Amino acid sequence: MMILSQLVISGIATGMLYALIALSMTVGYRATTVVNFGHGDMVMMGAYVMLFFTVSAGMPFLAALALAAATLFLFGFMMQRGLMEPIIKGPHLSLAIMALAVGYALRGVARIEWGNETLMLARPYAQDAFMVGAVVITMDDLVISGSVLLLLLALFVIFNLTPIGKVIQAVFQTQRGAQLVGINVPAFHCAMWGGGATLGATGGVLLALIVPLTPDMGVWTLVRGFAAMTLGGFGSLHGAVIGGLLLGLMEKLLGFYASTVFIDISAYLVTILVLLIRPQGLFGRHATLRV
Amino acid sequence: MPRSASDGGAPRRRRNRHVFWIVPLLLLPLPLLLDPYQQYVVNLALVYVPVGIGFNVIVGNLGLLAFSNVAFFGIGAYSAGILMVRLGLPWWVALVPAALSGGVAGCAASIPALRGVRMFYLAIMTLAFGELMRWVYIRWEPVTGGSMGMALPTADLFGWALDSEARKFYVFLGLVLATIVATDRILSSRFGRAFVAIKSDELAAAAMGVPTNRYITLGFAWGGCVVGIGGAMYAALIGHLTPIAFDLTELILQFAIIMVGGLGSLVGSVLGAVVITAAPELFRDLPGFQELLFGVLIILVILFLPRGLASLLARLHPVFQDRYYRG
Repeated sequence: MMILSQLVISGIATGMLYALIALSMTVGYRATTVVNFGHGDMVMMGAYVMLFFTVSAGMPFLAALALAAATLFLFGFMMQRGLMEPIIKGPHLSLAIMALAVGYALRGVARIEWGNETLMLARPYAQDAFMVGAVVITMDDLVISGSVLLLLLALFVIFNLTPIGKVIQAVFQTQRGAQLVGINVPAFHCAMWGGGATLGATGGVLLALIVPLTPDMGVWTLVRGFAAMTLGGFGSLHGAVIGGLLLGLMEKLLGFYASTVFIDISAYLVTILVLLIRPQGLFGRHATLRV
Repeated sequence: MPRSASDGGAPRRRRNRHVFWIVPLLLLPLPLLLDPYQQYVVNLALVYVPVGIGFNVIVGNLGLLAFSNVAFFGIGAYSAGILMVRLGLPWWVALVPAALSGGVAGCAASIPALRGVRMFYLAIMTLAFGELMRWVYIRWEPVTGGSMGMALPTADLFGWALDSEARKFYVFLGLVLATIVATDRILSSRFGRAFVAIKSDELAAAAMGVPTNRYITLGFAWGGCVVGIGGAMYAALIGHLTPIAFDLTELILQFAIIMVGGLGSLVGSVLGAVVITAAPELFRDLPGFQELLFGVLIILVILFLPRGLASLLARLHPVFQDRYYRG
């Protein structure tokens, strides 16, 4: 029982991170209906930019976080404006490979600038652990879960209680209709793509608190984000969160009770099985073509 | 009646295409001119020709967003390697099961496409398949040698040891020619026309009575098979297989080949393989620059030359035009 609750606690903490990454991908996807295959590398870049502002520029943690988020917002905005928008009417293949290529170039930049060795982001808080009953809760768990919960709350408010949320809903339902009522759809796309990059960068920073940073962490992130998105259903915001949590729990529980291999391969298996058996996921829309 | 317009020109263009046989003839004395390292780079380019061709059949001709090419490549390479090391088969015997296992992997990867998974969903799923395969190479240690990899014995052809780069070159050249000719035959037959129909409008093709599922599986199987041959050639060339050679970086390299060469173009696959294999050798000792170069190169090609280098050649002379591609 004690082991189980311990596993659930750490599963939720990991799952929160996956949820944030899946959510950041969903924000961009909902706006443009284009999946960003370079998103994992944007997450990686967010963490490295954070490293630059804290270590090289010597800024306090929160200021650096704000600057890193702003940098990635600009990057996402410009990527959508300059690279995706010109070909957005073209085949999906070009869009997917364009995003993949941008991510690949980012990885090259990170490797040129920071090299191949793994780096750690210094925690801005003491690395404590608390005992609740017989269960250990670390400060990392609390900070990560707390930050993600705060972001989720903010997003919930934005999506459901503000005019921006109405615009988002309108464009997601029909782009032409949104244009007819005077919404600047291309600008909206750019802003949402930037917003997704910002959320992803925040996820990258949180991830860098607990995992060593390498230029190659983008793939790992991308696969987990996709798995969470697929499980929850593409384009569904609460689906992404629940999918992320379920994936985190699954990795920990199956990894302990079945076999440690599930820590590595849960994400792949979830992606493949869900798309084969129930492509719309838990909360998504219809996703397949019937001939 | 409408035959005259479209098909009338075809036999002449087919005849024109015999010009291409000059290229391998011109290449024959190449080993005399190059030092072993340059010859190795040429051989590497030859390895990537079938890899690009197989990828292009699935992505360019069939129009399906399958990211599983590195999985086919790895499966071909590891099948050849495992048969050579664990069962002691000679390379030329292992070549056949390597091609077959690539084809079987292609069939397996087409299952989601048959169930109606398309576009990004298919891409994500096949990406997961590729990463899963890489995990298998790492974890199935008694057979694959794990993350340390597996050293292979010298490849041979009917007992003739391929122990120099020049010998590998001639064998590879033969294999590459065979795959090019076979793929050209397939693409200009009724199969190729079915691929064009599926790519243009799958629903319309099905309504016209094209058995789309059968052709999709066939396209995947052929693509996987050709890429599997490329994998076996890679095993013979490098002589050492490690899982890290089959990661996402490799996928970008292969995407670069078909994007820079030209989507859906056989000439493009060959061109792309040559250009993309030669370029990174300039940046071998600078980590990161190669990735940056490829990333920027693909971005530029998508923005400014969406049909790749093949479209430039086609502008020079119609002989480079692909009959089986409708953009």
